[in-house]
Amino acid sequence: MFRFIVKRLFGIIPTLLIVSILVFLFVHMIPGDPARLVAGPDASYEDVELVRQDLGLDKPLVTQYFTYMSGLFQGDLGTSMKTKRPVFDEIADRFMPTFWLTIWSMVWAIIFGLLIGVISATKRNKWQDYTGMFTAVSGISLPSFWLGLMLIQLFSVQLGWFPTGGNDSWTSYILPSITLGAGVAAVIARFTRSSLMDILREDYIRTGRAKGLKENIVVWKHALKNAMIPVVTMTGLQFGFLLGGSIVVETVFSWPGLGRLLIDSVSYRDYPVIQAELLLFAFEFILINLIVDVLYGIMNPQIRY
Amino acid sequence: MLKRKYLIPLLTSLFAVILVLSACSGQSNQDSKQSEETTDAKDQPIAEKDGNSITIAVSSNLVSMDPHDTNDTLSGAVQSTMLEGLFGFDKDMNMIPVLAESYEASEDAKEFIFKLREGIKFHDGTPFNAEAVKVNIDRVSNPENRLKRYSMFENVETTEVVDEYTVKVTLKEPFGAMLNNFAHPAARMVSPKAIEEYGKDIAMHPVGTGAFKFVEWEHSDHLIVEKNTDYWQEGLPKVDRITIKPVPENGSRIAMLQTGEADFIYPVPTDQAELINGKDGIVVENRPSIVARYITMNTTKKPFDDVKVRQAINYAINNEAFLKVVYSGYGSDLDSIIPEGLQFYSKQTPYSYDPEKAKQLLAEAGYENGFETTIWGANNSDAIKAMEFIQQQLSLVGIKVNVVPMESGTLSDRIWSVQTAEDADVELYFGGWSSSTGDADWGIRPLLAGDSIPPKSYNVAYYQNEAADELIYAALQTADPEKRADAYAEVQKIIWEDAPWVFLGVEDTMAGMKNYLKGVYLLPDGAMNATQAEIVQ
Repeated sequence: MFRFIVKRLFGIIPTLLIVSILVFLFVHMIPGDPARLVAGPDASYEDVELVRQDLGLDKPLVTQYFTYMSGLFQGDLGTSMKTKRPVFDEIADRFMPTFWLTIWSMVWAIIFGLLIGVISATKRNKWQDYTGMFTAVSGISLPSFWLGLMLIQLFSVQLGWFPTGGNDSWTSYILPSITLGAGVAAVIARFTRSSLMDILREDYIRTGRAKGLKENIVVWKHALKNAMIPVVTMTGLQFGFLLGGSIVVETVFSWPGLGRLLIDSVSYRDYPVIQAELLLFAFEFILINLIVDVLYGIMNPQIRY
Repeated sequence: MLKRKYLIPLLTSLFAVILVLSACSGQSNQDSKQSEETTDAKDQPIAEKDGNSITIAVSSNLVSMDPHDTNDTLSGAVQSTMLEGLFGFDKDMNMIPVLAESYEASEDAKEFIFKLREGIKFHDGTPFNAEAVKVNIDRVSNPENRLKRYSMFENVETTEVVDEYTVKVTLKEPFGAMLNNFAHPAARMVSPKAIEEYGKDIAMHPVGTGAFKFVEWEHSDHLIVEKNTDYWQEGLPKVDRITIKPVPENGSRIAMLQTGEADFIYPVPTDQAELINGKDGIVVENRPSIVARYITMNTTKKPFDDVKVRQAINYAINNEAFLKVVYSGYGSDLDSIIPEGLQFYSKQTPYSYDPEKAKQLLAEAGYENGFETTIWGANNSDAIKAMEFIQQQLSLVGIKVNVVPMESGTLSDRIWSVQTAEDADVELYFGGWSSSTGDADWGIRPLLAGDSIPPKSYNVAYYQNEAADELIYAALQTADPEKRADAYAEVQKIIWEDAPWVFLGVEDTMAGMKNYLKGVYLLPDGAMNATQAEIVQ
C-alpha cells in the first residue's frame, strides 16, 4: 500500500505537466486581449501596447510558456495582471473559505445523503422511499442560484436568522453550505439507495438474517460497507468539484472564495491567475482520486494494488 | 416497481408546476405594487440603526488603491474616501477646488499655477505642500513608473515648486482640458513619505488627506476606512467607519439592504428599483448620469455611408420607448452627441420618432425596400434587451437587423484587433461612454475625431469630418472657457446633423439606501461619494 501511494504521488508530476500545457494553450486561445482589458476602457493605443510589453504578451507563445514554467518550478506563480499582487497571495486568501465551505457542505451532504439513501433502500416502495427520493430529485433539480436566493429571502430577510453573505462567523456558513450541499446530498442518496438495494439481495445478507442478526446490524454493518464503493467514488468526485469553488454559490453569498476569483479572472483574462487556479484544481482532483483509491482498500480488503 | 417508475417523474413535474406558479404569482404582485409605491417612499418611518458605522455594498471587486494606477470607477470611488486632489467634482460634476485654493492658466493653455490650501496634513503626518504635489505629478507623469494613468499626464513637461504653497505645471503641448485632468480621480494626492516607504505596494496602503483613514483591505472580501479626526474640513467626517463590500449578485446586494447589513448599495438594477423603493426603510435614488448610450454606424460601409440612411435610422427609433424597455424608464434623452452633464454640452434639435419620415429618407437614399445588417454588443441582459428593441423598431421601416451579442473580451477583439478601416467588419455597434474627466473633450475626441479609429481609439463609426476635427483640436489650444464653449457648440451641431450614431439615451445612476443615511450619493459618472456620510435618526 505504501509503495502504491508513493508511486502514485510521483505519477502526479507528468500529469500536471501535461495539464499545464493544455491549460496554458487553452487560456491563451480564448479570444480577448488582456492588455486592452488591463489598460482599461479609455486607454490609448500606445498605452495598450505599453501594457502588452509589460505583461510580456508581445513575445511568442512558446517563450511565454517557458517563462511561465521556469517561474513555476521556482515556486513563482506570477503576478495577477489585474491587481498586480502575487498570484499565490490571491489564491491563498481565498483557499480556506472555499475549503471550509466544501467541508461543511460535504459533512451535511454525506450525513443526509446516506440517511435518505439507506431509508429509501430498506423501505423500498413505501412512503419513506417516495419522500426520500422526492427530496433527492428536488435537490438535484433546484438551480443553486434560485435555492440560494430563496434561502436568503426566507432566513435572512424575513426571519433574520442568518447573514445574507460573507464569512464573518459560523452562522454565515449555514445557508451557503445548504445550497452547495443540496445537490451532493441528492446524488449520494440516489447512489446509496441503488447500490444498497443490490447488496441487500446478496446471499450473505440472507445468511446474516437467517442466523438471526438484527436487521440494523445487517444493513448498517454488513450491507452498507460493501455498498459504499460507488458512493465513495461519487463523493470523491463531488468533493473535487466543490473544492474548485462554486461560482454560483460564491457569487450569490458574496463568499470570498476561489470560484469568484475564477470568474473574475476569466472575464478579465487574468492569465496567471486562471492558470494557477486550473492547475490547483487538477492537483486537487488527482489527490482526491488517490485518497478514494486508498479508501477502496480499506473498505474492501480484497482490493490490493 | 412500476408505481415508482411513474411516481418520481410525476412528483417532479408537479413540483416544477408549483415552482412556476409561485414564480408567476410573485410576478403579478410586483406589477400591482409598482404604481403605488413610488409616491410614498419618502413618507415611510425612519429605519432603526445601531452604531455610527456604515457598510456600502458594491457590485464588483476593488482593483487598486493607487490613484495613479487605477482605471476603474469603483476603485476610484473608494479612494475618494481617503484621498483628495487639487480639484474635484461636486454632486453635479461641476469642478470645485479641493486641496487647491485657486489657479491661473496661461492664455495658450500651457502653464498652470496652483495656489494650495495651507495647514493640511496627510494621515501619516506629512505636511501637504508644493513639494508633495510635485512628487505626485512627477510620479504619474514618468513613463518609467508604468502607471495606468500616465496617459493623462504624459503632456506634463515640468512641475516646479514656486514656494511652499504654490506649484507651477508646464505642459509640452497646449491642452485646454488639463484642469479637468487635475480634477480627475487619477490626480489625487498621496503622501510622499508613503510613496517612498511602500514603493509599488502603495496600492495596498493608501495614505492621503481625506476624511477617512485606511484601516484594512481583505482583498477577497472587504475594505475598511475609519474617521480621520484631524480632517481639515470643519464638522467632517460624521461617521466612525465605512466598510466597503463587493457583492456581485444583484439579489444578494438588495437583500443586504433589506436586512440592514448594508446601508447603501449600488447599482440597483432598474427592473427591481420599484420593488424595493419605500419598503423596509429603503429609498432608491436615481439621478441623470453622464453615460451616453448610442449605436455607432460604420460610416465607411454601405448603406451607412449615406447620411440620409443614418438620419432615417435615428427617426425610426422611439427613444422614449427605448428607455422604458431597457432601463425601466430610468433615463433621459441624449439630445446632443454628449450628455447634458458634461461641460460645454449644447442641446440639439432631437430626431423625433417618425417612421414615415424614416421610410421616406430611406427611399431617397435608394433603399425603399430596406436592407439587412448586423448589430454587435455586449452579452449582458441590458445590452441584449436594447439590441432586440432596435431590431424590432428597425423592422418596422424595412431594415432587418441580426443581433449578435458577444462576451466582452471577444467583442473588443473583434473591434480593436482590426488594423485598417477597410478590414473593419463592424456595422452597427451598441455601446456606451462615460467621460470620466467631465469635460467635452474626452466625451468627443476618442469617439468621433478622425484619427481616433480603431485600433488607436474608440471611433467605431469610423467617422471622418475635417471641419469637426479642426474644431475638436482648436478647443484644446486654449484654456479660455468661452472660446472652448464656442468650438464645442459648433462641433456638436455638425456631428449631430451628420448622425454617425443612433442617439438613444442617457442612463440614470441607481443607488439604494436606508432612509437614515444622508450625504452619500453617486456622481453622474457612477462614482460614489461618502465623505459627508451621516446617520440621522
